[in-house]
Amino acid sequence: MMSDLFIAYRPLIDLFLLHSGFALGQYIVLRAGVFSVANAGLTAIGAYLSAWLTLRAGVHPALSVIAGTAAGTLVALLLSWPLARLRGVYQAIATLAFVQVVLSLNVYSERFTGGAMGMNGIPKVVSTGTLFISLLVTLYIIWAISRTRLGRAFDAIRQDEMVAASLGASVRYYQSVAFAISGAIAGYFGAMEAFNTYTIEPQRFGFDFLVAALTYVVFGGRRSIWGPVVGAAVLIALPELARPLAEYRTLVYGLIMIVVMAHLPRGVFDTFVEYLHRRRMARMDRAAIAKGDNA
Amino acid sequence: MSTLVLDRVSKRFGGVIAADNVSMQVPSGRITGLIGPNGAGKTTIVNLITGMMELTAGAIKLDDRDLSTTSPHEVSRAGLARTFQNIRLFKEAPVIDNVMGGFHRHEKCSLVSSLFALPSARAETRQIREKAGALLEKFGMTRYASYPAGSLAYGHQRRVEMMRALASGPSVLLLDEPVAGMNDVEAGELGGIFRELANGGMAVLLIEHNMRFVTKLCEHVYVLDGGRLIAEGPPKQVTSDPAVIAAYLGA
Repeated sequence: MMSDLFIAYRPLIDLFLLHSGFALGQYIVLRAGVFSVANAGLTAIGAYLSAWLTLRAGVHPALSVIAGTAAGTLVALLLSWPLARLRGVYQAIATLAFVQVVLSLNVYSERFTGGAMGMNGIPKVVSTGTLFISLLVTLYIIWAISRTRLGRAFDAIRQDEMVAASLGASVRYYQSVAFAISGAIAGYFGAMEAFNTYTIEPQRFGFDFLVAALTYVVFGGRRSIWGPVVGAAVLIALPELARPLAEYRTLVYGLIMIVVMAHLPRGVFDTFVEYLHRRRMARMDRAAIAKGDNA
Repeated sequence: MSTLVLDRVSKRFGGVIAADNVSMQVPSGRITGLIGPNGAGKTTIVNLITGMMELTAGAIKLDDRDLSTTSPHEVSRAGLARTFQNIRLFKEAPVIDNVMGGFHRHEKCSLVSSLFALPSARAETRQIREKAGALLEKFGMTRYASYPAGSLAYGHQRRVEMMRALASGPSVLLLDEPVAGMNDVEAGELGGIFRELANGGMAVLLIEHNMRFVTKLCEHVYVLDGGRLIAEGPPKQVTSDPAVIAAYLGA
């Protein structure tokens, strides 16, 4: 009975695991104060390169995944160079252009990419288990970053670049590092997608992808590492639970985005965490007052 | 023992001269004051020292090291810490995290060890947390450690910023109007802390509006007006200088 349920929902679980990965790739650049939406393009690069290597050049899938990850990292690093001169919404515009460039290249270089039809018959070597472990490892790395030097520098830069610099943190260096990490995660999960879904095509890594990845993070939360995962879980389950909604997925995402930004600007999970924190602080205050400490 | 030296520093914005041939010495063990009416160019000097702006002419040195063309994060790494005129804390982050941020320049763990939270990186985080805790205790702020910095009272926020600056273990401390908006008692308390720091060998540069505070605390004062130095010397002598009185009263 249990296993029947698992099999029935398996594609949905795979989808959730993949998209959590995409969400975390988006999360980590935002965390370092880079307003980039390049992840759709970087994911496409990981997916296409690894699929091409295995399908056309006969490379072992494991090596293809490594190559896809490396390509995502490298392109992200290259991209971080011109991006360092831009701020805020201009970074968003520039990276949106990058996503369009990758999309067009995938459409037009038919010989390599299969054009608008994409690539088919990619061996399905990535199972739910692999995806699950991949997500755990990614979460561990992001947790590790949060607890150590990198996370402190990212947080400082996101909150106030000028102050971060005055404390000795090079904004350009740390934002490049964040970008590279995000590129690695994007490239890796792109390759996972290629080896999990038999087929890839250019439009899958276009505007819808970009909006989805952003929505997971904005909806779930941008501070806690669980925010993006919670965001992906809720937003992927939602259209499935209410079947009629499935067709209007992007419409629903858009509406949710507006409502969340207006009423829970920190995202559902972060708002919840903050609520718990506040309650604890209030309890501590009451205890201090009861002890007669009025300082 | 360090000395910050400004040697004939100038800054022009097109035809506007924001700093004109300014020479100053900020030696260790002393509180050096920089005063001047609004628009005198104090903030320009701060921005030039901290690397936020480029010099048009002249040189800025910390001992033998030339800081004239150094970027802000490198100036900090050379041993200069600052506070901001309009308190700039990480408002949503807990007080302890704000102070921990100040230790950045002494963090040594590698990229890889941070990426995987290897023991060396975790040990570093633990040490920094302990050191930050010790600073909080010294400033009597331990009970606010986990409050969001932005939720504290104004005077306490000033303290947090001060702790963050001190966490970097600077040889030069630049205080940009640190007692603005404080009453005399609060200002006096902070003044005591500045005194202690200078006695401990730090070079302190105090940029202030509050004349009373400067006269009480500084050994040596520079007066800036219209981007130029119009007087320097012990506070008593400077405040009775006719040129200074004229500048302040707008005569």
